[in-house]
Amino acid sequence: MSIQIENLHKAFGAKQVLRGFSVEARDGETLVILGHSGSGKSVTIKHVVGLLYPDAGRVVVDGQVVGDLKGEALATLRRQVGYVFQFAALFDSMTVAENVGMGLRRMPEISKKERRERVEECLTLVGLADMMDRMPSELSGGQRKRAGIARAIATRPRYLLYDEPTTGLDPVTRAVIDRLINQMKETLGVTGIVITHDMESAFRVADRLAMLYEGRCLFEGEPEAFRQAEQPVVRAFIEGRPELMEGWNE
Amino acid sequence: MNVSAPFALLGMGARRFTEGLGGWGNLVLDILRHLRFVKIWGPLVLGQMSRIGVNSLPIALFIAVFTGIVLALQASYTFTGAIPLYFVGVLVAKTMMLELGPVLTGLALSGRVGANISAEIGTMRVTEQIDALETLAYPPVAYLVIPRVLAGIFMFPLVTALAIALGILAGWWTSLNLLDLSTPEFVLGARLFFLPFDVTFALIKATSFGFVVTTVGCFFGFRTRGGAEGVGRSTTGAVVVSSMAILVLDAFWAVLLL
Repeated sequence: MSIQIENLHKAFGAKQVLRGFSVEARDGETLVILGHSGSGKSVTIKHVVGLLYPDAGRVVVDGQVVGDLKGEALATLRRQVGYVFQFAALFDSMTVAENVGMGLRRMPEISKKERRERVEECLTLVGLADMMDRMPSELSGGQRKRAGIARAIATRPRYLLYDEPTTGLDPVTRAVIDRLINQMKETLGVTGIVITHDMESAFRVADRLAMLYEGRCLFEGEPEAFRQAEQPVVRAFIEGRPELMEGWNE
Repeated sequence: MNVSAPFALLGMGARRFTEGLGGWGNLVLDILRHLRFVKIWGPLVLGQMSRIGVNSLPIALFIAVFTGIVLALQASYTFTGAIPLYFVGVLVAKTMMLELGPVLTGLALSGRVGANISAEIGTMRVTEQIDALETLAYPPVAYLVIPRVLAGIFMFPLVTALAIALGILAGWWTSLNLLDLSTPEFVLGARLFFLPFDVTFALIKATSFGFVVTTVGCFFGFRTRGGAEGVGRSTTGAVVVSSMAILVLDAFWAVLLL
């Protein structure tokens, strides 16, 4: 069981975002995809759940090519892949509990009682059990992210995709979210892909790291190897020193 | 100025128009394709009927009342003794039923309902809530569009019928109190050229307006890009296009059915 992203190409109009990006998230691991803002990280994981379709290349989840799936087959795959959005994307007309239960409503095999229990269980797991009846607008940024994670895990997916889970949060809340990501892997056994440009967070959650640069995979390996990497772009990213990059000018 | 510039502008306008029309046509086809997801859209229709219909009643009825009053007064002013005054009833009833009831209600609702739908769906688009729906295995067209379109198709005729009735009542009240006309005279006029088809005609128009306003609102909402400014642009676009579509449809039905 894995997610394979193979030679992905994607352009929006004249802007070529991905130029043959390939990476694999192996069973049970958390893969972190790093890259600058606008490098195509979000675009990449949107291909995993069929929110975007590649111009060339493919994404394979559990042996199924995502681009070939339609209708119920795509819906089934989506239930296996939880997606945590950058700004949580909670439905603002619903309570937190209704948000978390949304995915379960599409699963006829789950009764109302089970649904209620599952919602409670997921919100307890992310520490929001006492916020079930709150509206998203009443939550802080960190709470919204946690509610987003609860919604993503409610259908008991095998994979979790996190789109910049710590962006815009204070250091303590970032650490809380990172712990939650590790907890999801340990307690639920999910395979995760985290996209971020937050190095501290990346090292806390990653089993392996990949760096997306100019539409391609510049580096793929374990955190220690990433720390030791000598490519100027990687070093610039780790050290926060753009002057290390070739052709950089202020 | 380059002599080809006006032609380039015309070409760009034509391209945008045909692209928009094509996109709207695709949305209509998508609606038909997604009708099979009854379990998704079914429970949401009543709520939308209340939002689109019941909540729109005050503005629609307000417009109808004042239209009825003005129609009666203007008819009386125009006839100036040359035409029997009971023809005020003819003019109020016929005009409210065939034209002003459906069109003014349609235009008022295109502002209220069309703008609301476009802003709501547009906001969901830019805040990734529509993407979230998809990742939770909900087809957005079934969840967001079909309940609104069905509510529009059912509620526009209902609101229009009430507006017509209230407009005629307001014309009657005006005739009694401000003109020298009795109830039997007003009723005589109102029934003089009445055809049951007039009601059908009004309801056909209102139904088509309901369909157009809701589908155009959804269409603009779905293609929203670029944050709050984009939502504003979509909302304006939805109101302008659906208002124009109402006037075109108004002429279309008149040519086809009268």
